[in-house]
Amino acid sequence: MAVEVIGLKRSYRPGRGVVRRRSREIEALRGITFSIERGELFGLLGPNGAGKTTTIKVLTTLLLPSAGTARVLGLDVARQPREVRRRIGYVFGGDRGLYDRLSALENLRYFADVYRVPARGQRARIDELLELVGLKGRERERVETYSRGMKQRLHIARGLLHDPPVLFLDEPTLGLDPVGARELRKTIARLQQAGKTILLTTHYMFEADELCQRIAVICGGKIVATGTPADLKGRIADRTIVEIEAFGASDAMIERLRSVDGVASVSVELREQAQVILVQSSRGSELVQPLLRELEDARVGKVVPRQPTLEDAYVDLVGSA
Amino acid sequence: MIRLLLSGLRIHFLLLSRSASEVVAITIWPILYATIAYYMFGAESDPHVLLTASLGATVMAIWSSVAFSAGGAIEIQRRLGTLELLVAAPVPFGAVLAPITIATSAIGVYALAATLLWGRLLFAIPLHFEHPVLFALSLPVAIVAIGMLGLLLASTLIYYRAALFLGASFDYPVWLVTGLLVPLSVLPGWVAPISWLLAPTWGMRAIRESTIGGSPLRAIAMSIALSACYAAIAFVCLRAFERLARERATLALA
Repeated sequence: MAVEVIGLKRSYRPGRGVVRRRSREIEALRGITFSIERGELFGLLGPNGAGKTTTIKVLTTLLLPSAGTARVLGLDVARQPREVRRRIGYVFGGDRGLYDRLSALENLRYFADVYRVPARGQRARIDELLELVGLKGRERERVETYSRGMKQRLHIARGLLHDPPVLFLDEPTLGLDPVGARELRKTIARLQQAGKTILLTTHYMFEADELCQRIAVICGGKIVATGTPADLKGRIADRTIVEIEAFGASDAMIERLRSVDGVASVSVELREQAQVILVQSSRGSELVQPLLRELEDARVGKVVPRQPTLEDAYVDLVGSA
Repeated sequence: MIRLLLSGLRIHFLLLSRSASEVVAITIWPILYATIAYYMFGAESDPHVLLTASLGATVMAIWSSVAFSAGGAIEIQRRLGTLELLVAAPVPFGAVLAPITIATSAIGVYALAATLLWGRLLFAIPLHFEHPVLFALSLPVAIVAIGMLGLLLASTLIYYRAALFLGASFDYPVWLVTGLLVPLSVLPGWVAPISWLLAPTWGMRAIRESTIGGSPLRAIAMSIALSACYAAIAFVCLRAFERLARERATLALA
């Protein structure tokens, strides 16, 4: 087993006030349990604030658990942090985590020393990684001149310098343009094919669907479902999704949709001017007319019944958590 | 470990050299301090007094650089988002942090050259070193000792973010109690034991005695001993504070 998490809890006590310091406890993780096989690409999926980053920070030894245990390659992350650190790579999304005023090559050389890459072969390793992440030829440019996608690929190269068998990728495609994100997903897929164990956190369903062999959905600090993307989709396989494009649907109308007989869940997304109402039900397209009756006072555009996707399964899981 | 220290020094020199505000501060401080010192002691006819004043100005510049930069070192890494990556590295965090404070202290080599040259050109202060070999030894020893004091200061900041102001607020008191501004003999007796615990006292003494005469070996030995003590305490503090930071989740907070 590459990663084993049993009953992991983590709470915070953020303090407020200077003279009379007040604090209240926030439970970021409420006893989560999951495991990742060696060589597996495992996704941790959840909305913002669900506990994804906290989980990764405990596993990368940056946070101590409040209760429970977490092991990486059999090593306890709380008691053996130094040993764990030698065997893991940690990459997070966004612009931070690099020395912008230095070149990519200077950054990689420094982190290679910090991550104890032997001096002999260090240059070859850096060249190999620059090639892997598509930055060969740009390595002498300052990082501050890089695009976000290039910085993110440099992050991946940095995380791989010491050739760790286990990689933790915390929302690595965050803020990337579609082309940059696709390139990065290809890189992640190649890493998994090369035998790395990867824990990927994301809130992009298609990303998890495309890359991950198994997924755990986390919400409010609890794991609400674990399985393959097909397993999770299978949970709502008997349902049909009716996607209704509406303009000016009030909260009261949405509430009325929820009470229509046979409706399992209703969620609303805003796409520019339109509201896209997603209705899950087991009654298939026969439900369309009753639904439209409840939206009489709103302007309705396209109405499309379709098969459920992983995103629908996720919305259902998070909505009912 | 030596490779890591050298690599850290190189990278932090590069970072310092690519920051316009750092370059301006590093260039101007020693010249400013030296000028004030020359005018303060301008009435003295003894060239030794002027030379001592300029050497004091050099050590003041080294300490100022360390006090400000060491205080901010962890905060800067935290803001860059590199602090977590450095803490999550398989090497002791002290080995990553020490080159940052030593690099800022080593700026003192420039400070010394600028101060002596400034004094020679504008105030015709003769450059004569009584023990040139010991002088060459006392300078790096003083730089490392002051850098290690900076490491000790910085080690508290991994957990106490609010202590950022500490570095800056230690600047002037250390000048005073280590005899950089005025001779220790004019200060109250209780100041002496404090000054003995501070590296700039011995660094200054080693540089001064190797320049104008005396026996700098004791001061050099004290600087080395203090460096070792600071490093040992800093490494212990870093281990304890790192654990506290992991417990209280303060590593990533900007």
